[in-house]
Amino acid sequence: MTHSESESLRELAAAYALGALGPEETRAFEDLLGRSPEIQRDVAEYREVAALLGLGAGEGVPSADLRARVLATPVRARDTSTPRRGWGSSLRWLAVAAGLAALTIMGERIVSLGREVRQRDAVLAQRDSALTSQQQELAERQALLDAVLDPEVRLFQLTSSGDPEPGVQLFWNQRRNQAIVNAYRLKPVPPGRAYQLWFIQNGKPVPSVTFTPTNGSARLTGIPVPTGGKLSAAAITVEPSSGSAQPTSPIVLSGPLDKS
Amino acid sequence: MPKAAASSPQADRDLLVRAASGDQEAIAGLYDRYGSVLYAVAYRVAGQRADAEDAVVEAFAQAWRDASRFEASRGSVAGWLTMIARSRALDIVRARTRRDRITASASSREPLGAPAMGNWRADPVDSYEDTERSQHVKAALQTLSPPQRQAIEMAFFEGLSQSEIAERLAEPLGTIKTRVRLGMQKLRETLRPFFFERGP
Repeated sequence: MTHSESESLRELAAAYALGALGPEETRAFEDLLGRSPEIQRDVAEYREVAALLGLGAGEGVPSADLRARVLATPVRARDTSTPRRGWGSSLRWLAVAAGLAALTIMGERIVSLGREVRQRDAVLAQRDSALTSQQQELAERQALLDAVLDPEVRLFQLTSSGDPEPGVQLFWNQRRNQAIVNAYRLKPVPPGRAYQLWFIQNGKPVPSVTFTPTNGSARLTGIPVPTGGKLSAAAITVEPSSGSAQPTSPIVLSGPLDKS
Repeated sequence: MPKAAASSPQADRDLLVRAASGDQEAIAGLYDRYGSVLYAVAYRVAGQRADAEDAVVEAFAQAWRDASRFEASRGSVAGWLTMIARSRALDIVRARTRRDRITASASSREPLGAPAMGNWRADPVDSYEDTERSQHVKAALQTLSPPQRQAIEMAFFEGLSQSEIAERLAEPLGTIKTRVRLGMQKLRETLRPFFFERGP
């Protein structure tokens, strides 16, 4: 990720704290967030602002029994069902005046059923949300597959020695001048550092994206490939997270890019 | 109900850990500190008392269940609880909207009261006690331009992404992003003295 991309993402901290980013922006921002204590501070402060926003409405006060309901909710229960109110008192009432109590119980039951419907609907809404997220992921995977299977795409391999042997597959769409990178078996990088991709053009390194692997793997899409000169190779080095203009450490992976 | 005061971050985290293990005193402590704040957010989102209270109960239940996921580096306990309450309230509103679409008769169920979002002033019985903090928040919101305030409120209380806001208002996405960012920056500076956690 380039410095300007990082700065651009950083500007999303306020929207992130409000929950106003789309799924893709959220993923990209959280990737940056995990590596930047400064942005974590921004998010923490914006969340404080968000927490205060409700008070700006200045209306509404909870009923007296809300505290009791919170205290009565079972801890660690996966089922978030809320306690039903009034059964005990209704039954005591039944002993005194059965007819009226029957009406009360019916009323309580209606309220209880209404509450159960709302709770089940809330669970459905959560499942809808999870389904949307899965559909989004599937769409992204399909887009990636389509991009890799484009007839204009050529595959190049960046290699290195090591045990286990790391590798990077570089899928280069020569018509669009874009690349997809699939990295695997990479070692973790120290805090504040990231892998950086370089294209060797006319014998000189041209900086490209930075990335940090998760469980040794990373997948990057839409990487611009430099134009206007002969590309002979690509390489990977370890650089500061914000990226470098010139390599500052030895090459850890490399491979030729034969454009012919 | 006791008002939420500026609290010690460590004390809140300790309460959260104890609450997650079922400590009733800790649960009561966190409710007394933040119950009214969570309710205010849930009420603003849901627009009616019963749904707002359900959201608060579900939010606390989720907080005890997910306490181990709380990351102090990314915000205060109050901020974390608030976001959970907002999410649960949005879930309830979405479910209610779906249910209303498929249910023809309104006479056989509880009165729904105000529409889903934005009409939180519909219930004249409810009146929120004025705290010093809420007065300052109101004043800070008034310093924003109306478009900035609208964008922030649509994002937070209606659960809309910036793209969805841009689409709904027929404005460029970049304009919405700028309104959210500048508005939140201004609120951050103005409201910093009233944060629930004031620095590390």
